[in-house]
Amino acid sequence: MEATKMQPGAETAGAGAATGDRSAGGGSRREFLGDAIRLSGGALVFLAGSSASGSTEPAPKTKAEAYNWEEHSYAYLIDTQKCIGCGSCVRACRAENAVPDGFYRTWVERYAVGMEGSHVDSPEGGMDGFPPLAVGFTVTKSFFVPKMCNHCKATPCIQVCPVGASYRTKDGVVMVDGERCIGCAYCVQACPYGSRFLNPSTHTAEKCTWCYHRITKGLRPACVEVCPTGTRQFGDMKREDDPVRQAIEHERVEILQAHLLTEPRCYYLHLDKEVR
Amino acid sequence: MEHARHVFRALLVLVAGGAVVFLGRGFLVPRSYGLYGHYRYDNVAEQMNAHRPAHAGPQSCTGCHAAQSAKWSSGSHKTVSCEICHGPLAVHVTDGKVSAKMPVDRSFTLCARCHRKILGRPEKFPQVVLEQHVQGPVEGRVCLDCHESHFPKL
Repeated sequence: MEATKMQPGAETAGAGAATGDRSAGGGSRREFLGDAIRLSGGALVFLAGSSASGSTEPAPKTKAEAYNWEEHSYAYLIDTQKCIGCGSCVRACRAENAVPDGFYRTWVERYAVGMEGSHVDSPEGGMDGFPPLAVGFTVTKSFFVPKMCNHCKATPCIQVCPVGASYRTKDGVVMVDGERCIGCAYCVQACPYGSRFLNPSTHTAEKCTWCYHRITKGLRPACVEVCPTGTRQFGDMKREDDPVRQAIEHERVEILQAHLLTEPRCYYLHLDKEVR
Repeated sequence: MEHARHVFRALLVLVAGGAVVFLGRGFLVPRSYGLYGHYRYDNVAEQMNAHRPAHAGPQSCTGCHAAQSAKWSSGSHKTVSCEICHGPLAVHVTDGKVSAKMPVDRSFTLCARCHRKILGRPEKFPQVVLEQHVQGPVEGRVCLDCHESHFPKL
């Protein structure tokens, strides 16, 4: 009760002090506040104008004249039965995208499977082929599996990015904006396929882009371009006669780690249960 | 009237705070951010023009190397693109002009990557167990001494 009684008194005292201030300061605070309001109002108008012009300007400028991303929806098909493990794809990727040593945007794994166990190896990503292999059990089947970014539709790598550096384009390619990336590596950990890494010189996340600089010019990704056996195929799901689309529509294709519901856009033919 | 002034002051602080936020946002958020999603749309164009394609495919070789191309395309290595063994075209040609000699790899590894008999390769694919294939020491032997790479006889 006493406190509530005290308050009006305190307030009048405060107001008195304020009036005292005003008379002493010659209205400078009022001037300052007035100026501040006018300034911030002006800034708001300026910003609104600049952001409005920003939203209309870059769209036609950045969109390449010949390329419309709405007309494409890319998919990748890997037939593991055809792979001979030559590593041409890994070398081509390296040459095409200047991938730093010791890191891989795509790599090839060799699986040696028997009744007593299984063994997976990928020396230098399979870049220079594979050496003869000796394992401690009888190998009943062995095969190569090329791996890369699966360009998932519901990808965890984009979800975890705190700065909006990871994104998926309308034509279905997951990419990293090196300018935005702060190198926190959340996406590297989030990717269940291990397809991302931090570039040791730029300290930003890097990954397969399906050679976006090539596919937007009508070329195939470098790894597909050099594959001698047709193991790797690249296609457009918006083209009805596309062989990759045909295969995905009519054959029994599989995806890696389907239980994670990431909806990969890399499809595999003749995958084995041992492959993760 | 006294109370209205307090409300006005509070509003003033709020408006000023909002202005600062908007101002900061305007400076910190890139121009094309949010046009199509939570990313900088300009990066799509940047990625498209990130660098020139290095690989150009075997059809880019025929112009200058017609004889080798014809030989290659009639043999069993016709699915093996020139650039697999020779490297990307960008090493050799810049702006339509020859900029450097194409490296020629005659090493054992070049052939072994595909044709050495190892676990993992499909059964039907032609593979060689060196010890059974050549007489004498295997180390240092070069396949291309006997085999023609552009038109291999198998």
